[in-house]
Amino acid sequence: MKNINTLKIIVALLLIVNATNVKAQIIKAEIRATGLTCSMCSNAINKQLKTLTQVVNVETDLNTNTFTVTLSKDNDLTPNVFKEKVEKAGFFIGSLIITVPTIMTNSSAYVFVEKENTNTEELQIKILDKGYVTDKEYKKLLKSLKKIETYSLNKEGDYHIKIIKI
Amino acid sequence: MKATFILIILFSLTVQGQLKVGEKIPTFTLNDANNIIVTSSTFKQKYILVDFWASWCAPCRLGNKKLNKLYTIVDKNKMDIIGISLDTDKLKWEKAIKKDKIEFIQLIDPNGFDAKTAIYFGVEELPSQFLFNEKGILIAINPTDEEIIKYLNK
Repeated sequence: MKNINTLKIIVALLLIVNATNVKAQIIKAEIRATGLTCSMCSNAINKQLKTLTQVVNVETDLNTNTFTVTLSKDNDLTPNVFKEKVEKAGFFIGSLIITVPTIMTNSSAYVFVEKENTNTEELQIKILDKGYVTDKEYKKLLKSLKKIETYSLNKEGDYHIKIIKI
Repeated sequence: MKATFILIILFSLTVQGQLKVGEKIPTFTLNDANNIIVTSSTFKQKYILVDFWASWCAPCRLGNKKLNKLYTIVDKNKMDIIGISLDTDKLKWEKAIKKDKIEFIQLIDPNGFDAKTAIYFGVEELPSQFLFNEKGILIAINPTDEEIIKYLNK
């Protein structure tokens, strides 16, 4: 009996793990790039993003200077990939907003800077960490987010996030 | 919709890949602002400076001012300047031409960096300029005004 129960628990756990795996991908990323030159005047960011096989499409919005990246369903990309690619192209991220399944933000890698109650399946979140916002914004955030101890640590792989749209 | 179809570009190319100094000018056939088809072979026996730009590209708009000046001082029997815009919005392109008071030839390949002309010239950033001699051979990429004038006076 005990064994069967244990087995049940294991199966249930496996199912949960699997469910999380299936649903824990970034759906879309909106990247605004900054730099010394006009980021939209270069094909470099576009090209760098397209080197990722999980990138399905890159669209540029010239009015907002934003690259909108659509990703494949089974991708395993994390926000730092976009930062790396933009920097490899010779630019910096000015703003990164990602659309993710709400379940993904349960991971310990994501820290909400404001408490929000959400019951939607998807969230649009802005990454607030150094390198994901402009230097000016980061300096402001360092002050306003003093209460959040982990923020100033700049630990790679930790993302401090703010909900943009529920 | 119809206007979009009229804008569809006829394109034929003799050169593939990125353009290097010493290579021949790719044959292009593009529309001007009056929807008149212009072919690269029209410009034979002259130096030509091909300038890739777009209305939303701020450095290009500054560049237009410089090109206007250059255009007033060069011998038009010896050299032509051809602007090729990668604007996807034709109206914005036309507005920019008027605002910048561009008098040299203006053509459009309205597909951004995916435009075929951009691909065959190897345009990776805007603005990008290519100077060809009277034989249609690429002699300089992004030359300065001084360099252009030097070539013309040779």
